[in-house]
Amino acid sequence: MDRFGEIVSVVLGALAVAYLAYEIDRRKRKLRDLFHVLGSEEADISAELADMVESGELQPYTRRARA
Amino acid sequence: MTVAVPLTAEEPLKTESVSQEATLTEEGTLIELPARVRKAPRPRKSKLSGTPRFRIFVIDSGWNSVARRVLRHNFALIRRLHKGDPIYLLSRKKSTEFIRRHRSLIGRDPIIAVHDLTAMAWHGTAGFHGFHLHLGIQRTPRQALVALQAFARFLAKHRQSADLEAEVRTELRREGFQGAVEIFLHKVPRVIGG
Repeated sequence: MDRFGEIVSVVLGALAVAYLAYEIDRRKRKLRDLFHVLGSEEADISAELADMVESGELQPYTRRARA
Repeated sequence: MTVAVPLTAEEPLKTESVSQEATLTEEGTLIELPARVRKAPRPRKSKLSGTPRFRIFVIDSGWNSVARRVLRHNFALIRRLHKGDPIYLLSRKKSTEFIRRHRSLIGRDPIIAVHDLTAMAWHGTAGFHGFHLHLGIQRTPRQALVALQAFARFLAKHRQSADLEAEVRTELRREGFQGAVEIFLHKVPRVIGG
């Protein structure tokens, strides 16, 4: 009976640790998705925005003029 | 309006009005005074004080989301907090076209894209050059507001940073670590919400 209790405790402990690891990983991924760091993979996205500024297609926001 | 200034005037003009003074003085040199004393025009400060460090873009195709409402309600404040950096608002049409060309962004808008001009001057868009705040993935007004505040704080705090990439990654690690601690303490993590 004691042996069975030990096994249950170990299994429950392992499940708790696994859940924590999963939850931390999930939140980390969500955080990285929310604050997404721009690298070479997003070069085309950023280059297009920069081009829109350089070409005058976008103007800085002021109260009077909106892009 | 003209007034006469006596040649031998030793006493300064006291409390009499200009017109009274003009009638009291018979001889003297006439000088022209403007009818109303105007202050010299103050030089107008440029909206963008100093060299901008960032370029900020707001991309919003118009999903009826809580994030959109939070952004709209707080945009004026964000703008005032980051007067030194130009903010470019893409219209709904432009945003939609832009997102259609970059489909990985669908459903993540409103997006605040921040370009680090220092990094871009150094190596263009080849390496680290800024970050996106994907506000549209937040589901509650509180999450969206907290994310927006974290974003505003981060930009203000690291505006002079020599290595923004390192700072971003450090901050993310710190937030991740705090999130883990908060999970242990059964609290709601600060930025990413429940």
